[in-house]
Amino acid sequence: MASTNQFLASMARLSLATPARPTTVSAIPKFLLPSVATPSVRYASGSGGSGGMKKRPVKKKKTYKLFRSYDLSPMEQVSLCDAMRYIRAFEVGHTPSVIKYEVAVKLKTQKNGPVIRNRIRLPFPFKTDTRIGVICPEDSPLALEAQQLGAVAVGEESLFESIRQGKIPFNKLICHTDSEAALKKANIGKMLGPKGLMPSAKTKTITSDFKATIHELIGADEYRERNGVVRMAIGQLGFTPKMLSDNVKTFMEHVKRDVNSIDDNFPKSLDEVVLSSTNGPGFSLNGKFSPTDPKITVEDLHSIM
Amino acid sequence: MVGVLRRMNVLRALLNIRHGPGAAVLPQDVTRIHLEFAMKMNDGHMGPKKFWRENLPRLKFWNPAVPMIVNRTPSQTGAATLSVYFRDDALIAAAGEDAAAAPKADSATPTSSSSGHAKAPAHTQGERVVTIDMKNRRSEMILKDFLDATGAVPVVPTNQEEIEMKDMADLKRKSEIDMEIGRKIQEARKREEAILAQARSEAAAIKASQ
Repeated sequence: MASTNQFLASMARLSLATPARPTTVSAIPKFLLPSVATPSVRYASGSGGSGGMKKRPVKKKKTYKLFRSYDLSPMEQVSLCDAMRYIRAFEVGHTPSVIKYEVAVKLKTQKNGPVIRNRIRLPFPFKTDTRIGVICPEDSPLALEAQQLGAVAVGEESLFESIRQGKIPFNKLICHTDSEAALKKANIGKMLGPKGLMPSAKTKTITSDFKATIHELIGADEYRERNGVVRMAIGQLGFTPKMLSDNVKTFMEHVKRDVNSIDDNFPKSLDEVVLSSTNGPGFSLNGKFSPTDPKITVEDLHSIM
Repeated sequence: MVGVLRRMNVLRALLNIRHGPGAAVLPQDVTRIHLEFAMKMNDGHMGPKKFWRENLPRLKFWNPAVPMIVNRTPSQTGAATLSVYFRDDALIAAAGEDAAAAPKADSATPTSSSSGHAKAPAHTQGERVVTIDMKNRRSEMILKDFLDATGAVPVVPTNQEEIEMKDMADLKRKSEIDMEIGRKIQEARKREEAILAQARSEAAAIKASQ
């Protein structure tokens, strides 16, 4: 059998451009004949590596250790109230409980190494759809306690079975230390891992104190660094500037603490903070609060959306 | 994150929200604005929708303190109205003590809704309401009626802003030319790919038949 490469090459010549030189003309198109039967066309320049234009070696792409960071001097940075004024104008007429303010914190950081990942309880929580699943020995006093604390799914083997069937009625999952061994044996990491639900000691979701953990989970939110940026929803459109600034401040304190606590071999530092919203553009914040327009007061931004 | 310069170009489009049709400062006596129209554009609801999308953000930017409530209803046959609430000092004087005791407008104002729940609130004592019918009308006409009814003062861009606006227009023109060039290159590439793919599939068919 003829080699495919040779075959394709002669075909490509046929379809893209007419050969520069006359070849033996035949009634049957060349690609209909197996290439063994047709004598291959030879050119003066020869084929392959012997003579002709030499291919330039492909330049190796430069690799960077750090995520790219930009010079921020051309960036117009605004105060929180100014950003809110613009965002509220962009989002006018949308349901305020649906539209969220979002914040993105860009870090100067290496591409490899540990990432920031933590949980935070904002001073003004706004997420109310937390449904908690609890893994603990069946029908134990622990299970009863978890149910009383508001867990929607409690159990061990029964819960694993429903997870394997794809029935996941919760969006947060915690595990008691007594059930840790059972969880490891259950082999459900494949189902839970991609959803970020797999309990682990690292995320403090394997616990012996349900009360504290569940309290922290309700109204608490997770954030993590991806591609050198920590993003998180930080408030509802209906929030006043004071509420939003409290949330942003708390969040920034947490991120700063995480940045400082990371291993010294992988230095990280804050680069830029951007506030945006569900449909609005992103505004780079300059850390100030008050509006710059003297005609606008903070109270003006309290109005109902 | 995207580069700073590219983001700045996008952000300069913010000029669009500061200036253009709808950029106007409302007089002090406008207390709130309420719009009601259907979710979809059929049956004469396109103008109101355009007014909301294009003009209302500018109004909101210049009058952040005025609640502007949009109520989008599921019923296409329903009315499309724009209600402007004015504080009327004469009415307040006539009502006397009662007006001062009356609940503040804010507490009775619903939040915007996309399921028809934010019905136009009843006017409080000392308030009068002007309604503009928006059905089957273009957004320009609605805006004109609105500005006439309220006596809003249009905002004029400063010299600096005018220069920036011109820059933005130039940039847009340039980008359109670039887009056209890019589109042609893409088309040529796609055409070539299609020819190759067809030749390949023909060759495969011949091979299979042998």
